[in-house]
This record gives sequence, C-alpha cells and structure tokens, in this order.
Amino acid sequence: MQNKTTFIVAGLLIIAAVVYLIISSTGSTAQFFVTVAELNAMGDEAMQRNITVSGAVLGETIVYDAMAPRVTFTILNVPADPKEVERRGGLAQVLHDAVMDPTGPRLEVIYNSVKPDLLQNEAQAIVRGKMGADGRFYADELLLKCPSRYEEEVPAQAGD
Amino acid sequence: MVGEIGTLLIGLSLAVALYTAYAAWRGIHLSAAPVTAALGKTWLHSAQNATNALTALLGVALLMLLLAFLTDHFEISYVAQHSSTVIPVYLKISAVWAGQEGSLLLWCFLQALFAALATGRASERARPLVPWATVFLSLTTAFFVAVTFFLSQPFTLLPQVPLEGRGLNPLLRHPGMIFHPPALYVGYVGLAVPFAFAMAALITRQIKEWTAAIRTWTLIAWLGLGLGLLLGMRWAYDVLGWGGYWGWDPVENAGLLPWFTATALLHGAVMQEEKRGFHVWNMLMVVFSFALVLFGTFATRSGMIQSVHAYAVSNLGGYFLTAIAVTVVGSLALLYTRRAALKDASATVENLLSRDGMFFLTLALFCTLTLSVLVGSLLPTLTEVFAGQRFEAGPAWFDRVTGPQFAVLILVIGLCPLLGRGVAALKRLRQLRWVVIGGAVVVPVVAALAGFTDVFSLIGFAISGFAGAATLAEFVDGVITRRKRTNEAPLNALWHLLRLQRRKYGGYLVHLGVILMALGIIGTRMYPFEVQTTVNAGQATTVQGYTLIFEELKSDFVADYNTTWANVSVYRGATYLTTLQPRLNRYTGTEQTITVPALHPDLREDLYLILSGWTSDGATATFKVVINALVNFLWLGGLIFLAGGGLALWPRMENRTWNGVALIVGLVLLLGAGWAMWGMSHGSVNYGGGRPLVGQDAPDFRLSLLDGETVSLKSLRGQIAVVNFWATWCPSCVDEMPDLQEAWEAYRGRGVTFLGVAYQDSETTVRSALVQYDTTYPVGLDTGDRIAKQYGITGIPETFIVAPDGRVAYVHVGPITAAALSAQLDSLLK
Repeated sequence: MQNKTTFIVAGLLIIAAVVYLIISSTGSTAQFFVTVAELNAMGDEAMQRNITVSGAVLGETIVYDAMAPRVTFTILNVPADPKEVERRGGLAQVLHDAVMDPTGPRLEVIYNSVKPDLLQNEAQAIVRGKMGADGRFYADELLLKCPSRYEEEVPAQAGD
Repeated sequence: MVGEIGTLLIGLSLAVALYTAYAAWRGIHLSAAPVTAALGKTWLHSAQNATNALTALLGVALLMLLLAFLTDHFEISYVAQHSSTVIPVYLKISAVWAGQEGSLLLWCFLQALFAALATGRASERARPLVPWATVFLSLTTAFFVAVTFFLSQPFTLLPQVPLEGRGLNPLLRHPGMIFHPPALYVGYVGLAVPFAFAMAALITRQIKEWTAAIRTWTLIAWLGLGLGLLLGMRWAYDVLGWGGYWGWDPVENAGLLPWFTATALLHGAVMQEEKRGFHVWNMLMVVFSFALVLFGTFATRSGMIQSVHAYAVSNLGGYFLTAIAVTVVGSLALLYTRRAALKDASATVENLLSRDGMFFLTLALFCTLTLSVLVGSLLPTLTEVFAGQRFEAGPAWFDRVTGPQFAVLILVIGLCPLLGRGVAALKRLRQLRWVVIGGAVVVPVVAALAGFTDVFSLIGFAISGFAGAATLAEFVDGVITRRKRTNEAPLNALWHLLRLQRRKYGGYLVHLGVILMALGIIGTRMYPFEVQTTVNAGQATTVQGYTLIFEELKSDFVADYNTTWANVSVYRGATYLTTLQPRLNRYTGTEQTITVPALHPDLREDLYLILSGWTSDGATATFKVVINALVNFLWLGGLIFLAGGGLALWPRMENRTWNGVALIVGLVLLLGAGWAMWGMSHGSVNYGGGRPLVGQDAPDFRLSLLDGETVSLKSLRGQIAVVNFWATWCPSCVDEMPDLQEAWEAYRGRGVTFLGVAYQDSETTVRSALVQYDTTYPVGLDTGDRIAKQYGITGIPETFIVAPDGRVAYVHVGPITAAALSAQLDSLLK
C-alpha cells in the first residue's frame, strides 16, 4: 500500500511541476495577442510589452529594401473571434473585406529582415514584436498565410 | 465523365460504409441468441465483404483522381487548381493530396484499407473483437466519407473547362511532399484501429488481450506518424528557407500530440502484455490518441486555431468538434461502466525505482507533454476564457515548458535498462556504473571542447551521454551473453540478436535514435546563430570562422519560373570548402517567390545560406547566414529511429532468404534517405580546390609568354608578382587594362613583375588587343584552363598579388583600379 502512495505522490509531483512550468512560462514568455483595433486602443501601454498582432496585409503598401534588408507594410484590422469570422463569410472573405475598406483601423509594420515569400495582398499576417514610440510596430517575427490563392497546406514559417 | 463517376463512387462508398456498420451490428445481435446464430454469421460475413468492397470503391475513386491529374482533366475544379501541363509527373502524383479535397479522399481510402486488413486478417486472439471493431471502424470511415461527399467534393466540375491549370504551389514542389502527407495519414487512420478494438474489448469485456491482438497496427500508426513528422521537419529545413525545422506551429503540434499518446500506448501495451496492469492507462491513451487525431484534422481545417498552416475552408470545424465530443464522452462513459472489469488484481505495485516504475514515469511524462503542447496550442483561446486577455505561446514558451520534461524522459530512457527486474537490478547497476558514468562525463566534455559551454546544455549532454551509454550497454551485453552460449562471431551474434528479439532491440534502437535527436535539438535550440550581411561582388566576409566570398550573381529561366542565384565560395580559415548557390525563384504566373537555401553540412554544424536580395546591377547582394549547431545528429537520430521502428514492426518470418531480402531493402532505404540528406548537393558545388587566400602559398605554374619565353612563378621568388586573369572577350577585363598598364609602368624595375594570364582566348585576338591598348607587361595563354583551375577562378577578371616569399598577399575578384593596385604594392614594398 505504501508503494501505491509513492506512485501517487510521484505522479502528483510531476503534474505540479508541469503546471508550474506552464504558468510561469505563460507569465514570462507568452505574448499578448491582439487585433489591430485593440492595439490602437491600448495607447502607451502597448510600448511596454511584447505583443502579437494579426491583420490583413495591404498589398500596395509593401516596400522592400532588399539591401538593408527591411520590409515595411500596413496591416488592417480583422476580427480575432472565429465565430465573428465565420459569420462574415470565412477568413478569406474577411481579409478581402478588410483590404477593400480604407477607413478601418490600420497599423504600419517594420520588419528588419528578408521579405517572406508569402507577403502579398490579402495575406493574413501574424507579427510579433513591440510598438515603437513613432506609432509604428517593430516586428521581430512575421508569420503569414494566404487563403486566397493556395488553400492547401502552406506551412510558411518563412518569416521567422 | 471522370468527374461524374468519381462523385458516384464516393456516394456509393458512403452507403456501403453505413451498411457495413449496420450489418456488423445486426450480426452481433443475431449471433447472441442460439436460434439465430447461423443468420448472424451470414450478416457478419456480409459485413466483412462490404468492408472489402468499400476499400475497392474508394481505391477506384482515388485512382480516378490520380488519372485525372496525370491526363490533365482540368474540367475538374480540384485538378485545375492544383496542377498544370508543365509540372513533371511525380509532382502531378503528389498534387493529388496537395489540397483538402484530395487529401480527405486519400484519408478515406487508407481508413477503409486499414479497416479491411485489421478485421479481415485479425489474429486468433483478436477475432472475438472483430464484429464490434467493424462497427466502429465503418462508422469512422463513414464520417470521413460523408465529410468528403457533402462538404469537400474532389470531383466538382467547373462550368467552363480552362485550357491550363493553376499549377502546384511552388512550396509543395519537393520530393518529400510525395511521402509526407501519406505517411502522416497512415499514422492518423492507423490509430483508429486500436481505438475500435479497444472499444470492442470494453463492450465484450475481453479487456486483457486486446493490446497484444492489435500490436502491429499501433506500431504501424506510430511509425507512420514518426516518419511523417520527420519528413515534414526535413522539408521545412530544405524548402521553407527560414533555417529551422520545427516552429511549434499548432498544425505541427497536431501531428506531434497523437504521436505522444501513441508512444505512451506502445509502452503501456508492453506492461499489459507482461501482465503488469496498466489497463486503464492503455484505454485512456487509445481514446486520447483517436480524439487527438480528430483534433489534428480539426485544427488544420477549421481556421479556429491561429496557425500559418491552416486550410482556408472553415466549414468543417463544427462537425469535427461534435465528432471529438461524441468520441471522448462516449468512450469515457463506456470506460466507466466497465471499471470493475478493468481492475487487475494480479498486478502488484512495485517500487518506483523499478522497471514498472520507469514505465509509469514514461506514461506520466508523455501525458504531461501532451497536456503541455495542447495547452500551448490552445493558449489564446484558453487565456481569453479564463483571463479575458488573449496570450499566445511562441517557440520560447514551448521550449521552456517541454525542455525539462524531455530531459527527464531521456533520463528515464537511460535508467530503464539499468533497473531491470527485481533483485537482479542492483547487481546490474553495480556492473554498469562505470560505463554510464563514463557516458555522462565523456559526452559533455567533448561538447565543451567543441565550444558548447552553456551550463544547461552541458546538463542535457550529460543526461544524453548517460542514457546513450546505458542503451549501448544493452547491445554489448546481449552480444556477450549470446556468444558465451553459441560461440558466434560478434557481428553474427548481433545479427541473430536483432533477428530473434526484434521488439526489444528495435525499441532500444529507437531509444538510441531519440538520444541522438536530443543532441541535435539541444544544439539547434540553445546555440542559434543567424546574421544578415550585405556584400559587394568579390568581397569577403567572415562569419563564425567561415570566410564567404560573394563571386557573382546569375539568373536563368526554367519551366515556369525565373531563378536567380549567387555563387558564394566558402572557406574555413584559408581552406576552400565549397561553393554555395542560394537561389530565389520567381514564378511567372503567380508572382510568388521561393527562396531555396544552400547548405554545407558538417558533423558540428550546418552552414545554411539564403539569398535575400540584390541590387539591379548584380554587384551587391544580401545574404542571411544561419548556423545550425549539431543539426545532423537530429537527422541521423531520425534515421536510426526509423530503423528501430522498422525492426520492431517486421513480422516473424522463418524463411532466411526473406529476412535477408528485408534487411537489404531496409538498408537500401536508409542509405537512400542518408544520400538524399548528405550526398545530394543542396545548392553546394565544388569548384576544384578553390582559390588560394591571403597568407597561403600561391600555386606554382609555368606560363608560355607571347614573346616565346617561359616563366614560372617559382622563378619569381624574391620579387612581387601581380597575376591577372583576363580575356579579350570580357568587357570589364578590357576596361581595366589601362589601369594595369599604368601600375606596371609605375612599378617595373622596383622588384615587381606583372603576368597577364589570358583565359579561354586565342593568340591572334590577344596579340591585337595588346597592340590596341598599348600593353607592354608579359602576357601568356592559359591553355586548357590549367592555371585558372589551380587558382580556383570563378570568373574574370581576378587579380592575385604574390609576395616575395611566394605567399598570396592580396586577392581581388572583379575589375581592379590602378589606385587599389598601388595601395597594395606600396604596402608590400615598405
């Protein structure tokens, strides 16, 4: 019977350790995940922390300086709630609508790296980084997906 | 025509799948009563036939889709979207599962095939479970066929037939993509088999033996998932051009999660077969594996989880969520009603520090790993529900949470063979203590000497060394024991050991593979290096001990894309290693660009080069240089992992010839995979010896000058020699001739000799050019490109200045000016 207790204690210890790891890592390394509209509403608070923001790429704003290398582009607000996306006709439609509407919330992104293959109009961009004092978003990492043209598996961690 | 028949076949398949489930269910009930037993048998027999018919129907449908791709039937929307007339045949084959519709059809076919094989060729022990397993497997197939038929039709026709298809997504144009999806699907559909048999075992209360009865299927599914994950990692490394192989993306995780639970199931099944309990564990693992498969397909297709992988179509999400809920709730309820039968009185609980204890720890760790990765994938949703704010888990989160768990897992791998069973354990521990301590010391010391000095990584190396030594000792021990008995030669003994105890030693091989992979993961995760650099043509740059010289930019048009590549010579110190050719392909139809990295693999690290941009005149280019420490241990470990899995899976055959054939086929496959990774060029070309760099001895040569004399470089010792490679047909060479003449006139008679080496040129044109440009320094023809090869010339002009001691003092690629020459010569003359 004593042995059985050992097993239970060992199991509980492992679970406790893993729960601690998850909670402490969430506090230290997890990133605030917001939409463009939410980020704009955050104000100065946005400059204090690491943030992940997702939005639709506006193709005509992409400027690439291959020699730096540096990409700048603007992303437009898309809702984060999947139900909301569903209601508006799916992700591809939502991205398309965002690009068609010039009045919605927008964010200029600066990414000091090679231009990823998938950075194009109406792609969904997920950028990780920090808000700069100049009101532009300085990205360390850029992930993209393109629902419009290729709907299949396009695993493009191309912008890491 | 093809389209209509295809749709009809899938519709028929749905009907047959539902009939199969009904027939099996009806057969079970009729067989229960003695009066109707004969009739029940007939129904069960009919269900078996229907299972085979279902496989045939779906097989024909898949074959028709394949034919539609091979013969360019662009009236089918799916074909038009994923193929074109210009892509090669092997890509047309892989295009069949490049999109959602086609991959679902492949999924359905594999599911039906696995169901037919698992129920039709069931072993004696598994036979009582077959009727109920048929019900569950047919319902699973029916679910996927229904999704295909109603929501994701591969044979939908276009109103107007396009003349040309859109072509295959350039990112998917990789040979690995032919095998990666089917391998993963084998894993996914394979896990439905143990699930169905486990449910059958619960219903019929035959709980003891089901794991052994379907052991092969669990192993096939587990190995398929492993192979699929490894191929995906290698594909990402070769094609995506971001320098890594695993990004903790939710869709990658979706493949990893069921692999975790399937691994746990394999270990739990060993315990159950040895009559050491673990019945509830195994049931839970089988349910979670199957639910995680559904979760994986859901994650890929629903769009509800933020992922860069995701399929765009989001209309399948709700159906998959329902299926997951039904599966989990239904099977857990069934499990609860059978809780009495699951209790195993015979199993005794041993000490935690025993073989049983280690298996318990293994299962517990795989469960916590599954939980961690699941939480990480769902973190944005979870934190929104519980904290009101969305947080996202990046690679740093996953590395931090799973790293310690993987470390403990490797430790357990090492402890398990040491602990053995019962009293013998202590004796064994004493025997092997120096071996394992040696492993735990030698590996980190070697790593530290190679420059890996981070404390946490050294702990990881020590654990890996300990586990590696303990596992290798098992092989040595087995061979020694066998030789005592049979007196065989060591290799012969090893061969028989592997042949006779496939599962045991296959398992240890898998462990060895995992340990090697751990080294690679520690190296790449804890010593990342990445830098961007912009260089002019001919200019050298030094990165982490490598000297990279950007030679020139070239471009060409191939099939449906424009390819641009840079030639970059790579030296370590002054030794030429290779010339790397990173590329950027621009597809004309879609304007999509694809970066193709170039690799120089080495045991310590891979040099991974990406061409990111260039100026329009091609004189300057920007590169991303990534150095992946120890990454080849990861790939090597992957191969050993697959070899071990294959060994454990291989059926027992008495015929020695067949065993030999199997061994040869297995080795050929492994060698082929090894060749694909390390033998093929990966954008690396070797241009002979490369050019001598500054500080190296200049290769000696003899040059016949146009005035009839012959000069050798050696004879110029004590003087400074300026060696210029040029040709009359090269405009920039002709441009620099006045500059060279100017320098020659300024320095002749001051211990400086000029030598013009004409490359691929004729005597008459050279003579007339010398007259035209008033060139008076000695010039000769390089017949047969002999000297150009010695000097590793990659283009002209190139100029070398050789110091009086015969060593290279200066190298310049491209046209040189009189001023630059003077500066170098002045500093040498000082």
